[in-house]
Amino acid sequence: MNHTATIPGIKQGLHPLKILIIILILLGLGIFPFVFENRFYISLITEMMIYGLLAMSLDVLLGYTGALSFMHNAYLGISAYVVGLFLIHVSPTSLWLACFAGIAFTTIVALPVGWVQVRTGGLAFALLTLAFGMMFYTIVWKWYSVTGGDDGLMGMPNPDITLFGWHLGSSSDPVAIYLFTLVIAFICFVLTRRIINSPFGAVLEAIRENENRAAFVGINVRRYKLLGWMLACILASISGALFILYKGYIGPSTMSAFAGAGVLMMVLLGGMGSLWGAFVGAALFIYIQDYISTMSEHWEIYLGLVVIFLVLFLPTGFVGLGDHLKRFRKG
Amino acid sequence: MAELLCTENLCRQFGGVMATNRVCFSVDTRGLRSIIGPNGAGKTTFINIVTGKIGASSGKIFFKGQDITNKPTHELVKMGICRTFQINSIFENLSVFENLRIARQAQKGGSLRIFSSKQSLRAVTEDTWALVERFGLKDLAARPAKNLAYGDQRVLEVAIALSGDPKILFLDEPTAGMSPAETRQISKLIKELANEICVVLVEHDMDMVMSISDRITVLQYGCTIAEGTPEEIRNNQQVREAYLGKEE
Repeated sequence: MNHTATIPGIKQGLHPLKILIIILILLGLGIFPFVFENRFYISLITEMMIYGLLAMSLDVLLGYTGALSFMHNAYLGISAYVVGLFLIHVSPTSLWLACFAGIAFTTIVALPVGWVQVRTGGLAFALLTLAFGMMFYTIVWKWYSVTGGDDGLMGMPNPDITLFGWHLGSSSDPVAIYLFTLVIAFICFVLTRRIINSPFGAVLEAIRENENRAAFVGINVRRYKLLGWMLACILASISGALFILYKGYIGPSTMSAFAGAGVLMMVLLGGMGSLWGAFVGAALFIYIQDYISTMSEHWEIYLGLVVIFLVLFLPTGFVGLGDHLKRFRKG
Repeated sequence: MAELLCTENLCRQFGGVMATNRVCFSVDTRGLRSIIGPNGAGKTTFINIVTGKIGASSGKIFFKGQDITNKPTHELVKMGICRTFQINSIFENLSVFENLRIARQAQKGGSLRIFSSKQSLRAVTEDTWALVERFGLKDLAARPAKNLAYGDQRVLEVAIALSGDPKILFLDEPTAGMSPAETRQISKLIKELANEICVVLVEHDMDMVMSISDRITVLQYGCTIAEGTPEEIRNNQQVREAYLGKEE
């Protein structure tokens, strides 16, 4: 091939070993619920995949666009409420229409928020995400007649889940929702990876590296930051639709700043800027949370300690572990 | 030769200080213009206003006869107004190649293709290779920009600015921190560029300025105090006073 058509550092296609690993992971996850019929673990992994998707959406923002969102869970929450309300009040069986409504509504909310946020940079951007997040939290918490306030959204119907003409079962069946989540999360991962490696993704990375220089090569920084934000919010809204189907319930605590910090920790645990790291981070976070909470009521304290340890000794997260080991072996 | 860019009574105030004070400046489509002046004369501020980094308090800027005052930076870059910075402004964690490729992509378009690969922008990739070769960065192409030696980063800074096909290029102290050999190399490059486009150079190295400039503008306290050929500037009494102080 003519060398002028290649880009240094970018390989054509995926390494066969990587493809093999991906297939093995998918196969493993795919047959898991049929081999281990333990409902508890099926649900736990479903939750890991949903939060992995949310953490990945935050990674698009944090690891690629270089913008920090303290409360990205707000957009999971908004979408989850809308999907839930749609199923309760409009049509209890129209799953796909409900999901579409949730994603569309979240997009419409996120657009003006993003428009305001991209007019600032750095810390101001991050603080605005916190301010908007708190605002959404309060609305959900106080608007009792619609959201159920503190009690959360009750009376969710259990629509049937059909994917590509394949009937998985009712959303109350953990295996059906597990498989649904697996397929959707994987599609989102593949599409996001593709977007991140596109010319558009290159623009986001340039903005992360140096906003000033990005503007001075002719990039409309605000516009692309807004597009990055919208991508992150749309992905978060997809995780929200999965969340309400999985839980059959949502309360305001899912949209709290505390939960938002948790999503941020997932990204940091996994390592920023790799997408798949976010899934690993979410899985670790949820596993540690679950494990410690069986031993102590004050699991947040121990989880905090684990995170402090990781930030100090593995600042690049799980993704950076390989490099660390390589350096360690070389001495 | 045709007038490419000019400013009319351009002003910028910072609090009570007039950093740029009614500057009227005009350059042609080709040639090398230097802007000199003592520290704090407002040289960088002037460039910052013209390239859209900061706004003008009053006055106008025209580019090819069109009013471009206070237009956003990215629009000015697309029109062909590019610059380098006194302190390197590069994409540190991206490869040298990607530094230039993204600049080329931003200029040529295709940034909204969200599902294509970067390689699909063939012309962008080919142009980038040409740039990489032109600036002697081929062996460094795959390296992260932050791992380059300072002099090479300085070259990259100029190369990034040039990948936008500028009609006018502002160079803010391109030789700052460079060795004499590197300085000679850069000044040769600048001289070559000035045959094709308009180059505006801010520089402290007087030997270099005097030897390569076609014309020189001298700023002091934000005002233009002199303009002319290197010879005229060398013999200008006011300029001497600005640099050396008044003779008692």
